[in-house]
Amino acid sequence: MTKSIGAGGGTKNRFFSRGRAESPDSRFAFWLVFPSAAIIMGLLGYPILYAAWLSLHDFKLSRPQSQPFVGLTNFVQMAQDPEFLAALGRTTYFTVLTVGLGVLMALGLALLLAQEFRGNAFARTLLLVPWAVPPVVNGIMWRWIYDGNYGALNWILLKFGVISEAKLWLGTPESALNAVVFAELWKLLPFITLIILASLQGIPRSLYRAARVDGANAWQRFIHITLSSLRNTLILVLILQTMWSIKVFDVIYVLTQGGPANGTTTLFYYGYLETFKFLDVGYGSAVAFTIMLLVLVLTCGYITLLRRQRGSSKVAKEEAKA
Amino acid sequence: MKLIDGNRQEAGLIGGKMSRRRFLGVAGLAAGGIMANACATLEGGGGSGKGGQISIIDDTTNPIIEKEIIPKFEKKTGIKVANYQQVNINELHDKLATMLSSGDDSFDVMVTWAAWSAEFGAAGWLHKLDEGDVPDDLVPGALDAVSWDGVVYGLPKFASVQTMFYNKTLLEEAGLDPEAPPRTWEEFVDAAAQLTSQKRYGYAADFGNIDGAYQNFLRTLLLNGGEMYDDQQNPVFNSQEGVGALDRLVSLVREREGMDPSTMQILHSADLSTLFIEGDTGIVFNWPFQYATATDPAKSTLTAKTLGNAILPGIAVPSATIDGSEGFAISSYSKNTEPALEWLRLVASPEVQRRIVVDEGWLPVSKSLLDDEEVVKALPVVETYKEQSKYKALRYGAPWYSDVTTHLSTEITDAMLGRKSPQEALDAAASEAKKTINGYKGQ
Repeated sequence: MTKSIGAGGGTKNRFFSRGRAESPDSRFAFWLVFPSAAIIMGLLGYPILYAAWLSLHDFKLSRPQSQPFVGLTNFVQMAQDPEFLAALGRTTYFTVLTVGLGVLMALGLALLLAQEFRGNAFARTLLLVPWAVPPVVNGIMWRWIYDGNYGALNWILLKFGVISEAKLWLGTPESALNAVVFAELWKLLPFITLIILASLQGIPRSLYRAARVDGANAWQRFIHITLSSLRNTLILVLILQTMWSIKVFDVIYVLTQGGPANGTTTLFYYGYLETFKFLDVGYGSAVAFTIMLLVLVLTCGYITLLRRQRGSSKVAKEEAKA
Repeated sequence: MKLIDGNRQEAGLIGGKMSRRRFLGVAGLAAGGIMANACATLEGGGGSGKGGQISIIDDTTNPIIEKEIIPKFEKKTGIKVANYQQVNINELHDKLATMLSSGDDSFDVMVTWAAWSAEFGAAGWLHKLDEGDVPDDLVPGALDAVSWDGVVYGLPKFASVQTMFYNKTLLEEAGLDPEAPPRTWEEFVDAAAQLTSQKRYGYAADFGNIDGAYQNFLRTLLLNGGEMYDDQQNPVFNSQEGVGALDRLVSLVREREGMDPSTMQILHSADLSTLFIEGDTGIVFNWPFQYATATDPAKSTLTAKTLGNAILPGIAVPSATIDGSEGFAISSYSKNTEPALEWLRLVASPEVQRRIVVDEGWLPVSKSLLDDEEVVKALPVVETYKEQSKYKALRYGAPWYSDVTTHLSTEITDAMLGRKSPQEALDAAASEAKKTINGYKGQ
C-alpha cells in the first residue's frame, strides 16, 4: 500500500518535473485532467477576478446606473474604518480561540478514544453527533441553550449553584462572542478529533514498545513519538480550521445576527452586511478580497512552517544515519 | 428495426418522395403549432388581464394567502399563480435585492413595506402604479408602506401599528386596576415596577435584532415628541427628545424598573408574543397579531377577557406609535403586469381584507372596514387602532433605512448596555446617518 502511494507520488513528481521527457502516459493523464481542471479554475477564477474588479469600483446595487472606477479607495476606506478594524479584532479573537482550543481539545479527545476501553465504539459514534447536526439547527439549538429565561445552561448552572441568578449569555458583546466561540467549538470538535484519531492509529505500536525498552517515560513518548508523528496532521487541521474560523457565518447569523452592539460581527459577517444589507457591493467585495488574501497568507505561513519542519527533520535523520 | 423504419418510410418522414398533399398537410400542422404557441405566449404575457399567470414571493406573515386567497384569485380571474414562495421576512431583503439588481424576472409580485418600497422603488426596481389603480380609502400608514417620494409602487395587504397589550390578571394581582391601563409613561413605569416580582416582569420588548432596537427607540422618540429627520432629511434624532427617549429606555433596563432583561436578546416580535402569552409578563407593546395569538386557547394562557389592549402611554405627547403595514408591489422586470395588478387589487379588496382581519388579526387597509361589524367583533384591537390613529404613526422608510437603522441600533444597544451615554450614542449615530444619507443623495 505504502509502495503504491510512493509510486503515485513518483509519477506526480515526474509529471511536474522539468527537464525530463514526458511519457505518453503523463501527456494522456494531463489531457484527462485538463477539462475538469479548466472548469474548476474557471468557476474559481472568474468570481475572484470579478470580485477584484468590483472592489475597485463604487458599486452600489441600489444605484445601478452609476459605478465609477475608484481604484483602491475601498481598501483605503476599509483600513480607516473602525468597524472593519473592530471586526478584524473579533475575528482574530474568534479564530485564535476556536483553532487553539479546538486543536487542544480534539487532541485530548483523540488520545482518549485511541485507548482500548469498553464503549469505545459507542463513544466514537456519539462524537459524530455535533458534526451531523446542520449548521442552522446548531445555531438554533444554542440559542435555546443560551436563552436568558428558559435556557438549559442557566437551568444547569442555577441547579448546581454556580450562578445565583440567570445570565443573559447573548446579552453583552463579550459574553455573546464567547458563547459563539463555544457553539462553534462544539460543532468543529468531531471533525478535528476524527482526523487526529485516524492519524494516531497509523503510528506503529512498535515505536512505543522500543521507546519503553529505551526507558522513555509517558511524557517523552507523547512528545517524541505521538506529537512528532501527528505534526503533518496538526498542520493540516490548523490550515483547515483557520480558514473555517475566519469565514464563520452560519452560527453568528442564527445565534446573534452580529449583535449585540456588533459584538459578534466578524469579518465575514461584516462583509455580508455591507454587500447584502447595505447593497454596497464594491466595498463588500473589497472586504471579501481582503479575507481571501488573509486566508492565503496564513495558509502559506502554515505550509512554509510545515516545509521547514520537514526539512529540519530530514536533516536530523540524515545526521542520525551518519 | 425494420418495422420502425418501414413505418417512418410509410409516413413519408424518411426516404421516399413527399407528395404535395402531404407537404401541405405537414406545413399546415407546423403553422398551426406555431400560431398556437404564439397565442399561449401572449396569454402567458398577461396582456389581456384575464388568464395568464403570475409568480409571487411573500413573507410568512399570512398563511391564509396560500390556503384561501390564491385559490379564490385563480377561480375569480382565471389567472394562475404558477409559483408562490414564502420566505422569512428577515431573510427576504437580501434575496429580493440580489434578485432585482440582476434583473431577475422569476417573480412578478413581491411583498413590500415602507423601507423596501423606498429602497427598491428609488432604485427603479418596482413598477409605478397609476393614480387610478390606487383606492381612495386606504389608511395613511398602509399607503405609506407601498409608497416613496410621492410615487405609489403597490397596494397594501394589511395595516399594522403597535399598541399596548397587557395581562389583566397580573395587573389585578399586583393591585392595579385592570380596566384603567397606564396612560402616561410615568404610570407605565410604575405599573411595570409593581408587576415585577421574583418570577415575573412588568414589561418586555424585542431589542435583540437590528430592527427591533430601532423600533423600540423610534416608538419612544415619537412618544417623547421627537422626529427622526427634519424637512431636508437631516437626522435630528439626537435632539433633546431623542436623548430623553433613550434615557428612559436605559433606565428601564439598567435600573431594573421592571423590564425583563432578556429583552436584550429577544430577536423577533413573534418571540415577544410567545413570552407574553406564557403569562408571566405584564405589558408588551406589539403588533395587532398579538391579539390573535393571545386569545388562541391552544397556545395561550390568556383569554379575550384577561387580555387588555390600549393606546401607547405618552411621554411629551398623549400617544404615538410606529407603523408596520405591508403590501404587495410589482417587479419592474415582470412581463405580467396586468395579471399582477389583478392580484394586488384582490388582496386590497374588502372581501380579502375581511378574511385577513378575522382569521389572522391584522388591521384592514381600507378606512371603510374600520367600522365593519364583523371586523370590529373579530378584532377589538380595531377600536384601539382608531383611537391610536389620532396620534402620529410613523416608520420613516427610506432608501437608506438599512444603513441608518443598523448603525443606530448598534449605538442604542451600546447605550442600553451602559457603554455609552444616550447623548454620545445618538450623536455618533446621527453623524454616521448624515454621511450615509449624503452618500445616497450623491453629495
